[in-house]
Amino acid sequence: MIIPTLSDYEEVVGSDIIGELTTLASHVGKRSIKMVSSTAVGGGVAEMLHRIVPFFNEMGVQAKWDVIKGGDEFFEITKAFHNALQGKEEHFQQDVFKTYLDYNEMNNKELDLDEDLIVIHDPQPAALIHWNQNRKNKWVWRCHIDLSHPNAQVWGFLKPYVKKYDAAIFSSALFSPELPIPQYRFYPAIDPLDDKNRELDASYIDSVLAKYGIPRDKPIVTQISRYDPWKDPVGVIQAFKMARKYVDCRLVLVGDKAADDPEAEKILEKVRAEAGDDPDIHILLFSPSIATEINAFQRASDIVLQKSLREGFALTVSEALWKGRPVIGGAVGGIPAQIIDGYTGLLVHSVDGAGMAIRSLLSNPDFAKELGENGHRRVKDEFLITRNLKQYLLLLLALDRPSEHTIFLN
Amino acid sequence: MGEIFQFRSSASLEELTGRKAYNLEELLDLIKGCTESSIFYHTFSAFLKMREAQVPYNTDFSIWVARMLNESALAEKLMAVDLSEYKTLESLRKRLVEIIESYREEKPDAFQKTADEPFYLYDIVRIVYLSDRFAYDLKSFRELLPKVSTYSVFFHFIESRLRTQLDSDDFSTWIEESLNIPRLAQRIRKIDVNVYTLEGVRARILELIDEHLKEAEHNQL
Repeated sequence: MIIPTLSDYEEVVGSDIIGELTTLASHVGKRSIKMVSSTAVGGGVAEMLHRIVPFFNEMGVQAKWDVIKGGDEFFEITKAFHNALQGKEEHFQQDVFKTYLDYNEMNNKELDLDEDLIVIHDPQPAALIHWNQNRKNKWVWRCHIDLSHPNAQVWGFLKPYVKKYDAAIFSSALFSPELPIPQYRFYPAIDPLDDKNRELDASYIDSVLAKYGIPRDKPIVTQISRYDPWKDPVGVIQAFKMARKYVDCRLVLVGDKAADDPEAEKILEKVRAEAGDDPDIHILLFSPSIATEINAFQRASDIVLQKSLREGFALTVSEALWKGRPVIGGAVGGIPAQIIDGYTGLLVHSVDGAGMAIRSLLSNPDFAKELGENGHRRVKDEFLITRNLKQYLLLLLALDRPSEHTIFLN
Repeated sequence: MGEIFQFRSSASLEELTGRKAYNLEELLDLIKGCTESSIFYHTFSAFLKMREAQVPYNTDFSIWVARMLNESALAEKLMAVDLSEYKTLESLRKRLVEIIESYREEKPDAFQKTADEPFYLYDIVRIVYLSDRFAYDLKSFRELLPKVSTYSVFFHFIESRLRTQLDSDDFSTWIEESLNIPRLAQRIRKIDVNVYTLEGVRARILELIDEHLKEAEHNQL
């Protein structure tokens, strides 16, 4: 596979945007950046880093990406932390926190963290900063999850580490807790040229649906998301059943398992029970998913759902909008940032709302098309990887001059 | 020949302040106490969003008051502030405070309402930089304007008024002072920033330049 270069993106975002990136990168000069995350595969964070790191290097900014190591016990703990930080009630024994810290300490010994800017992604490696308090470089914590209602015990444990960072980044104002350090908003972004988003031949799309036994005889409603209680796959099936009383359609649930997601099996059981033996409901489990196939499912869909109950950001919304699909999203987390209700998609707050929205869009295809077209423009403006690159370049420039609100570069 | 015009652009990092308002009293406090750059962000950043989706409202303040508090009359007063009349952010802040305070006298009940979704106060760090695009005359300016980014149009047409504290944008200032075409400059200056999108501003400037070039050509014949 040939990795696209920045110039390949000119056709998509325009030469002006690429020109600005190049200009900003020239001001960044020899500064270096390192990303640290917990997994190299699965989930939006890994996908974004796979592309963004080579781009930095292409622009002359030295960038690296390290993935921390951990055994099953570590990833089970961090998965539980992840759920707790998004609001799940759970009490943890002290040895859990010790295990978390032991793995962070072990990783700290193995990692070289001397770059000018270290970006630590999510809670798994957040404590690394504890062993780097006499640093000369800048450290930023990039939190991709919703911290608006965190479990007090886990946040109480994590917050003292987060406070030691030079700044934090959140995907939305909704997620940002009170912290004594500067906080920035970075929307996550999709890559329009990767296998998940690039244009596909109609024949390939047909072949993918045939491969998974999905007939094209009626409108297809899809939710593509990890099997996770916060994505509400059970609620999606209930909404679909409500809508189907009025409009004939087919539901496809497509999900994969991230490397650090041991709970997926349990949720799948509930989903299968709710679906029963309904021939119009298709439950697909990819492990791992094939990007072009996900792309094909989105392009084949008449409606894409992301009926989440809690979200970090839900990049699947931007993926579907980029493809001009009408999207129905839960009004949580980063979804309202992507969906301007009634203009770039529809926001819903309940199973009933989702059911009505499916009925409404399938019955009004012109309106659905307009939502998809507006959504495509919105993604082009705000949620493409080039925008994200720009923000990191600006951060590299701004962190050097923390007291200035307007910085003139000559 | 006058000075050449080097296009600049600005880019912003959005900073989360952690401060928010659920009602008008809290919004008033935020407006009174926030930084000038927060006023700038919530008033002018709407130009960089899909403002057509929020029509007729044109600033974050008016959008929130209309959508979350359902106080349309106040939202209309806030959106009708003529942004081109305010050359400093302090004077703009003062005007916003006056409007909300006088609304309190007019309709005290409105201050009892609580929104489900708060107004989140942002701040920004703006980074201004030079591009490698230069205009030497009206023709080269006309060629470059469609190619520069929206952010560049934003910087020269919106942001520069506050930077220079002049009743004029960079484009019309240059066209008047360096190209000595006051009539065209005046027409560009009159473009109503309250109602156009940035792409609308760009299209309108191009239209005015084309008209001018056509007239000039006609006059030469």
